[in-house]
Amino acid sequence: MVNQLMTNLHYLVAMILFIIGFHTMLTHSNLIKKVIGMNIMETGIFLLFISIGYVRGGSAPIINDSIASYVNPLPSALILTGIVVGVSLTAFSLSMILKIYHYYGTVDSDEIMKIKDAEE
Amino acid sequence: MTHLPVLIIVFYLVLAFLTPLLGRIKRLNTGWLAIGGTLAGLIMAAVLAWHVAQNGPYSYFPGQWQAPIGIEVRVDALTVLMTLLNNGVGLMVMLFALRGVKNEIGEGLTVWYNTIFFLLMAALNGLAMSFDLFNVFVFTEIGTITACALVAIKPKRMCIRAALHYLILSTVGSGMILLAISLIYMVTGHLNMGFISGEIAGAFALYPLNIYVAMGLFIVGFGIKAALFPLHIWLPDAHSSAPAPSSALLSGLVVKIYIVVLGRLLFQMFGVGIFENIPVPDVLIFLAILGMLFGSISAMNQLEFKRMLAYSSVAQIGYIFLGLSLTTHEAMAGGLFHMVSHALTKSMLFLAAGAIYYKTGIKKTDELNGIGYQLPLVTAAVTVGAISMIGIPGTSGFVSKWMLAFGAFDAQRPLLVGVLLISSLLNATYYFPLISRAWFGHPRSSLRWDEPPRLMLLPIIVLMIGNLWFGIFPQTLRILVVQVASMWLP
Repeated sequence: MVNQLMTNLHYLVAMILFIIGFHTMLTHSNLIKKVIGMNIMETGIFLLFISIGYVRGGSAPIINDSIASYVNPLPSALILTGIVVGVSLTAFSLSMILKIYHYYGTVDSDEIMKIKDAEE
Repeated sequence: MTHLPVLIIVFYLVLAFLTPLLGRIKRLNTGWLAIGGTLAGLIMAAVLAWHVAQNGPYSYFPGQWQAPIGIEVRVDALTVLMTLLNNGVGLMVMLFALRGVKNEIGEGLTVWYNTIFFLLMAALNGLAMSFDLFNVFVFTEIGTITACALVAIKPKRMCIRAALHYLILSTVGSGMILLAISLIYMVTGHLNMGFISGEIAGAFALYPLNIYVAMGLFIVGFGIKAALFPLHIWLPDAHSSAPAPSSALLSGLVVKIYIVVLGRLLFQMFGVGIFENIPVPDVLIFLAILGMLFGSISAMNQLEFKRMLAYSSVAQIGYIFLGLSLTTHEAMAGGLFHMVSHALTKSMLFLAAGAIYYKTGIKKTDELNGIGYQLPLVTAAVTVGAISMIGIPGTSGFVSKWMLAFGAFDAQRPLLVGVLLISSLLNATYYFPLISRAWFGHPRSSLRWDEPPRLMLLPIIVLMIGNLWFGIFPQTLRILVVQVASMWLP
């Protein structure tokens, strides 16, 4: 059991990161912390995805006769796209938080809800 | 001709990059560019549909790389249905937006509005035809960001808040979708849906846990984006606060495409056979029924017209999920028919709400007394939309509910017909008072016949005629949705 866990440690770490991020995103009322949580969650997924393609003892996928096994390059290539998507999401949400601060004077979602309820 | 599927996406992306540049020319109105571009997109979609009708479905491989290595773009009945719907409704919304968006977001932002619209159309058409999981993810992300931007573009604090709420929940959904993709890739070694569906039975025997988790994550991830009850909480705020054309796009197209993609994943990739082990359809039916009832009950309590329409969308999405998850030919076809019918009706209702707001500044339903004297054509469209939502014969809403009811009998679940009836009655409780108030209510002041500009009226009337057309002559659409259903079911 422990042995199995140790050889697949990267999966466990990825899941822990995912849950930390998910939890931060859903429970914290500070919007910036939500964005940080979003990034941690994405990092967990990226780690999981990349570790799928890793071959123990494999080398970089550049063809050379002296090398026996290669690491699967596809997950890395996909996650490169994933990172770009993540960055644009972060940028977009941060710019919206900037707008929120401009309109409400706070970045705390609880206080924003209070202001909203007071309006109605 | 064979390059057409990819050309549609590339065409919209190129237009999205050109729009801000052309917008710098002082005398050019990019609204006309949006209309022309979407018209060209609609023509391309029609040619694609004609091509598929002649030669049957086919796959396109960008760069000539065959499937396991290259990316597959699948052009089948579903692609045809969704591209025609996307471009057709998109064209109508853009015709409306030429006049109807300036008063809500201001003159300076219309160029950016059109840019975002083109990006959204690229994502919607891409989702309709991609047959590769990672492509689905990328297009989903483009769709999410642009859909949020369409809400956030209105310079009001309520819109920014709604858009951020939408974005945060959507990001959770996207994260889940990517995680599910990685779990599927882990056990099958493919990202192409066709190859995955070949491997899935063997993978399920060896690693059932991966498949269970991936399926759950796909349903929750796309469920958030498609506003499946109880994951719909972002929808009322976002759809009601957005500018009218955005509401029409979001309610009519964006939500629908995620339902279709989820359907493609569940029925075409996982396959119906796997449901013998996992009672996914039963869970979805349960959620759909809750959505149908809860959405209508919430809609009854809304004072604002657009908010009522938004909650009504939650109920209507319930019908679509009900049809798809009954997994009989008739019910699935009914669900897809209802999707088309709702896309036409709800976008028309949101545009009509926008036209009423444009002309009179009225947002609340109880101020709509006697609006039929002032805007008879718009009110007629609202009436047709409302009776289609309730499901009165002569409208497309009736045909789809008829098909759903037969599908429920086919699936040996006659109780669901009762649920359909109750839900229709609930729809009637908030749409009928609206109609009677609009036509027979006593107006606040003397009103003259004063319709909105013709360009705003045209799309509303066209969508109304489309709704009635499919209600009276449902055969063409029915053939198409039955084809999709028989593609999804063995």
